[in-house]
Amino acid sequence: MVDESPKEAEFLFEMVRERYGDLLSAEELEEVRKGVQGIAKAAEALRSVKLENGTEPFSIFKPYKKGA
Amino acid sequence: MSPIGLAEVFLERLENLGPEYNAVVTITKERAMEQAERAEAEIRGGKCRGPLHGIPYGAKDLLATSGGIPTTWGAAPFRNQTFDFDASVVTKLEEAGAVLASKLAMVEIAGGMGYRQPNASFTGPGKNPWDPNTWTGGSSSGSGAAVAAGLVPFAIGSETWGSILSPANNCGVAGLRPTYGRVSRFGAMALSWTLDKLGPLCLTADDCGLVLEAIAGPDPNDQTAADLEYTYDDGSKSPFKLAMLQGALEGCGEAIKENFENALKVLEGFATVEEIEFPDLPYEAVTRTILNGEAASAFDEFTEKGTARGLTAPECHYGPYARTAVLAKDYLKALRLRGVICRVVDEAMASFDAVVAPSRRSPASPIDQEFRRTVPGTARDTMGAVGNGAGLPSISVPNGFTPGGLPTGIQFMGRPYEENVIIAVAREYQSKSDWHLRHPKQLIPRE
Repeated sequence: MVDESPKEAEFLFEMVRERYGDLLSAEELEEVRKGVQGIAKAAEALRSVKLENGTEPFSIFKPYKKGA
Repeated sequence: MSPIGLAEVFLERLENLGPEYNAVVTITKERAMEQAERAEAEIRGGKCRGPLHGIPYGAKDLLATSGGIPTTWGAAPFRNQTFDFDASVVTKLEEAGAVLASKLAMVEIAGGMGYRQPNASFTGPGKNPWDPNTWTGGSSSGSGAAVAAGLVPFAIGSETWGSILSPANNCGVAGLRPTYGRVSRFGAMALSWTLDKLGPLCLTADDCGLVLEAIAGPDPNDQTAADLEYTYDDGSKSPFKLAMLQGALEGCGEAIKENFENALKVLEGFATVEEIEFPDLPYEAVTRTILNGEAASAFDEFTEKGTARGLTAPECHYGPYARTAVLAKDYLKALRLRGVICRVVDEAMASFDAVVAPSRRSPASPIDQEFRRTVPGTARDTMGAVGNGAGLPSISVPNGFTPGGLPTGIQFMGRPYEENVIIAVAREYQSKSDWHLRHPKQLIPRE
């Protein structure tokens, strides 16, 4: 499989920079870039595992009715 | 000794010794004396609430406390934060008759902003009672130091990923990470809703069981609290069947390996140890993605407003921003994989009482260095990723010292809700070793 994470990481980093760039220095943004690369790498690892359509998130949603 | 006498002794130690280890945020003297007086009157009147009645303790400063006592989350921007209610754990301990003596120091935001070194709290770096030039571990830094230094008989810490076992290892105390949902999180700072757990740090595994019984149980204020009562069972359960992951010692320092191998010899006296392997799955990526996604949401406003700029560690100023790039589909994929992991890991552990491993790959790091630099190699933290990702209980107890006199630990990780089993293994190990009976020399009163 082609490792798409570096390219994706750049797109994601640009999104973060667009949104928060004014809160961070150039050095800090470089550190954020490394952090985003780690996040993209983790996402790549998750995506490499194939799941069946019926494999649901392991959390339970229950509709709420007061007193019920 | 009477509850009032006990409270006075520990309040004095908190006042005099607490600052030496940066272990204390707030000494709750007024509340402690009120609770101690009540305990004394009740006990004199023949009403005993149990083994914690009249026993002082400290709470990690992410647990809400009423009465104007600050709850700082270890972070300068929250140093004046107060709540008008008590966290459920604090309430349950009050019902058990325990005496809240102190709010204990912690890494800012429970380490959730990406700290890399000990100086990441507005109360300063957690100094290890075994050697104040080394770190306590974190994020429950004050909870580990306070128990090791005898400032409190027990403390409450929290773990999202490593925050109870790390200070237990570094400070040479027992630390229990309960099953996710075993203990209500109501009133505790949320870092990651599906990973956060609260648990005790004590001198022994036995004490951890006693404290867990007091704090566990259902809570209508926390929908994730399991609808299960917990009763501590201190009966013998040996012989035990233990598993050890292949490659468990990969990346461990020499002293860690040696102490672990010596501990295995002790374990062989009452247990079998078999090597096993978990199926090949991206355990760290799953737990990390869940943590990042949830923390990004839990601290969304904090991040948007740039409040992180007020934190102590420079790396925490920018730490929360990268995780805003976690995609929803990846977070959900991690939650779907979590179900797969829970099932395959439970199957792998089904015929064992616990998985045994070193608590950490290295002992306490120097107080002035980035701790990741002191961990050898790039070995994976499979035990931490699986244990926290799947919500499994684990207990760490001391198993020796490095040549430099720093404690090391061994952990026993069990299946969900099997705290009594892992505590029994640790208790049996402690009955055949004396590491937990040793204390930092400078803290032992001279004759």
